[in-house]
Amino acid sequence: MVSMLDRKLWRDLRRMKGQAFAVALVMACGLAMMTMARSLIFSLDSTRREYYEANRFADVFVLLKRAPNSIAAQIAEIPGVATVQPGIASQVTLDIPNLDEPASGMVRSLPDVGEPELNRLFLRSGRWLAPGSRGEVLVGEAFADANQLRPGDKIAMLLNGKRQELEIAGIVLSPEFIFESRPGAALPDNRTYGIFWMGYKEVARAFDLDGAFNFLTLTLAPGGSERSVIAELDRLLTPYGGRGAYGRADHPSHVRVSDEIGILRTLSIGFPLVFLSVAAFMTNAVLSRLLTLQREQIALLKAFGYSNRQIVVHYLKFAFVMVMGGTVLGGIGGVVLGHRLVLLYHRFFRFPDLAFHPDRTAFPLALLACAVAATAGVFSAVRRAARLPPAEAMRPEPPANYRPALVERTGIARFLSHTFRIAVRNLERKPAQALFTVAGLALATGILIVPNAFRDGVSQIMDFQWDVIQRQDLSLGLVEPDSDTIEYLFRQLPGVLTIEPVRTAFVRISNGNLRRQLAIQGLPANGLHNRVIDAATRHIELPPNGLVVSSELAEVLDARVGDDLSLEVLEGKRPIRTARLVGLSEDFTGVTAYMEIHALNRLLEEGDIITGASFAIDAAHRAEFLGALKQIPRVSWVAIKNSLRENFRETTAASIGLIQMIYLSFAIVVAFGVVYNNARISLAERARELATLRVIGFSRREVGAVLVTELVLLALVAVPLGLLLGTGFASAILRQVNTETVRVPLVLTPGNYAFAVLVVAIGSTLSALVVLRKLNQLDLVGALKAPE
Amino acid sequence: MTSTAITPSEASSGERVFEVRALTKVYGAGAAEVRALAGVDLDLYEGELVVLLGPSGSGKTTLLNNLGGLDVPTAGELRYRDLDLAHADEDALTRFRRERVGFVFQFYNLIPSLTARENVGLITEIARDPMPAENALEMVNLGARLDHFPAQLSGGEQQRVAIARAIAKRPEVLLCDEPTGALDVHTGIVVLDAIQRVNRELGTLTVIITHNAVMAGMADRVIHLSDGHIQSVHANEKRMPASALIW
Repeated sequence: MVSMLDRKLWRDLRRMKGQAFAVALVMACGLAMMTMARSLIFSLDSTRREYYEANRFADVFVLLKRAPNSIAAQIAEIPGVATVQPGIASQVTLDIPNLDEPASGMVRSLPDVGEPELNRLFLRSGRWLAPGSRGEVLVGEAFADANQLRPGDKIAMLLNGKRQELEIAGIVLSPEFIFESRPGAALPDNRTYGIFWMGYKEVARAFDLDGAFNFLTLTLAPGGSERSVIAELDRLLTPYGGRGAYGRADHPSHVRVSDEIGILRTLSIGFPLVFLSVAAFMTNAVLSRLLTLQREQIALLKAFGYSNRQIVVHYLKFAFVMVMGGTVLGGIGGVVLGHRLVLLYHRFFRFPDLAFHPDRTAFPLALLACAVAATAGVFSAVRRAARLPPAEAMRPEPPANYRPALVERTGIARFLSHTFRIAVRNLERKPAQALFTVAGLALATGILIVPNAFRDGVSQIMDFQWDVIQRQDLSLGLVEPDSDTIEYLFRQLPGVLTIEPVRTAFVRISNGNLRRQLAIQGLPANGLHNRVIDAATRHIELPPNGLVVSSELAEVLDARVGDDLSLEVLEGKRPIRTARLVGLSEDFTGVTAYMEIHALNRLLEEGDIITGASFAIDAAHRAEFLGALKQIPRVSWVAIKNSLRENFRETTAASIGLIQMIYLSFAIVVAFGVVYNNARISLAERARELATLRVIGFSRREVGAVLVTELVLLALVAVPLGLLLGTGFASAILRQVNTETVRVPLVLTPGNYAFAVLVVAIGSTLSALVVLRKLNQLDLVGALKAPE
Repeated sequence: MTSTAITPSEASSGERVFEVRALTKVYGAGAAEVRALAGVDLDLYEGELVVLLGPSGSGKTTLLNNLGGLDVPTAGELRYRDLDLAHADEDALTRFRRERVGFVFQFYNLIPSLTARENVGLITEIARDPMPAENALEMVNLGARLDHFPAQLSGGEQQRVAIARAIAKRPEVLLCDEPTGALDVHTGIVVLDAIQRVNRELGTLTVIITHNAVMAGMADRVIHLSDGHIQSVHANEKRMPASALIW
């Protein structure tokens, strides 16, 4: 049987359903985020782990110039190595019929018979390559999707300069390319870059690598040390042009997924924490209000012999009903949003089956988090009530003590209306309550800042990347480094306005024990295409000697301007040199190092060599230019700035937009919830006073003004604080989510602040309207009957 | 015992202020229906002091609320001079309360955050021809406690502030609902004295609800209510001063 106290609980809840619902909703927002993020972490993490295991993803990877297959057997003997998979990896250019620009990609070899030992593929559609077949290719899903390629379609590929028609046998996925993008590119462009797999014999013949390999992956035996295996591997492969082996921690696709998980991890803690704090504030406010109203009932219960504990439990139950509501709503919301976001992840991360797995531990954790928030909210209010001696509580509360407010004591009292005085004196008499409201409103304002700061930061990266750094219209890479005389050939192409050479070289750059492998970029000293920019967005002129690195790389290497860094070149003559760090550049993606092109060529001891070039093109001749480019076999890849930008806008920006919308909606819900709750509590607490005003002849509007004045005063204090708080949240959260691959700068625009203020203002206005409507339903006669 | 309308000749010589005919007020519906007023006929005149007597549930507060424009009748006629209170809209009722009626409640209903002077001043801000707050408080002998907050005043003082607030607008009607209900005898008499003084000096039609029969002595007319009907009306030959009342 339901106890009488529980019936009372139920009826109290129904009476305060608006406020209880607002509290539950705010909790739900925090929990939905937590459930969503934790479930996504769980989904990504477990899916990746299973995928890696099932398809035998390697632990160590190395690219080299060329080594005979017999070396692979030697590598297998290195202590700590389990399985070795040699193969071929080569850059190719493609001619996709409905694509203006040349596309490019990487072709990988597959054993002619049987499955590879490592990095096995997953067949999405079509069939595997027929044993010993020729003219067949498997295509990575991301590229196939972006170009609407299906099994049976033909594509033209330039293999080592020779054009070849290939038939697509199947569409596949690889654990090596969960994130499919051009090496070194921060943003994927799946339209113009793809991964392909062909039989070993056919690739080896095309690239003159019969009986040899230029790419090798291996797995470690249990207990094998990655560090020592890599050291031994590098020693063995140096004579064969080894470019330095690396582990999963430096594997681009692996790192991208890990980064994403890291971001989700921050979001699964940061945002819910803020939301649940707001919910705790609101619970406290609702409960305090209820307990004040029920002062006499509590006394009565105690007079009848109910213990303090029973009374505390009774009111805790009230809070827990809200908690349960919040948990259920939040759980459902989190799962629904998680499903949506998983679909989004399909655009970036290619898994055989990235299904949404709700993280079951998220629910008890959510319940616990909410319960703690609610208990924190309830605790003080309940304790105060339980301590009240019954006799005292049964007497109606005497009129509260007031005094002239601080602002009045400054002497401006005579300018203030009576309604204004009521408002300020009320606020001053209950500073704690005013503080709670201000805190709630400030938090609500603050969390509105974060999603938009994220959006503005991303948009700044893009503008910076494409308007400040990359001034060219198009860049290309050569199949092999070539003499800079090729520049003259390019200059003859139709529509070329300016051209600048680029020389890149793989190096291992180190400062003491700290090291990174990357492609160093050689650029003209005063180049106008790929510009090197410092923290103050000034163009850095590359000096004839020395190295400029991105500040992120300097941080990774713990290097300062003036330090000497060691450069171990991983290609060509493989010289090892020291270069002085002469400047720091600023960018938001990856780690980069620059040298003046001639200085780099001197360091490489290879004469005037270039590996690519950048162009400014006369728009009128763009199509002609691209057509001509497709005919040059030495071109390996082409990146067109506007295509990249457009592609980014359609995919990444849209996804960021969705995520931002989710967070923004939550923030708006909270803002409304806080304002509404506050106004309702104010109304309930002051029903008698407001009714009196109505009875003695104040109109609804005039009485409403008393409430609204209070709300406005609180908002005026809270909003600036909230903007400050939001700035703090945004910088803390961005600092946490920033990784080496992408660093979102803290961009706080007046527009962002204005939006936050606007939402809180609209929220406040709507809440005020709802409350003013309630004011019309005020029972004038009832409110006058007796003191509460 | 009569329950017919009171004619002017029986009461004061002033003009008729309220005209009440077959006034009926029903709360709730069906089994829960409560007939608070069941056809009341009554006229009230300028300057008279009327005491409404009756036990709990007799309908006296309902009648007062209807007279004061806090509630509207279910049926019957209710006119304040030319204004049809039975059919007035919310704005008209607010205007009526603001300009014509002063209320005094059992529990004072002062605004705790305003001083005595400010509580009265609240009215002078919205009324058309108010008296200065100080004068109103002087009338109830509170000239010395102008700047005290309600929490700093005794019950009797709070009730006198409430009276000052009610009369500051120079209302035509003063409606008092158990004005001494929460007070001891001595304080109650001080409060009644203040009400009587207002009635006499300003000529305000004053209606006092009470279940304390002793107060009948200070009235021009005493109306007994029972079960929503007027049970009897009695006109006093001579009004007693409040200070002479004993209970």
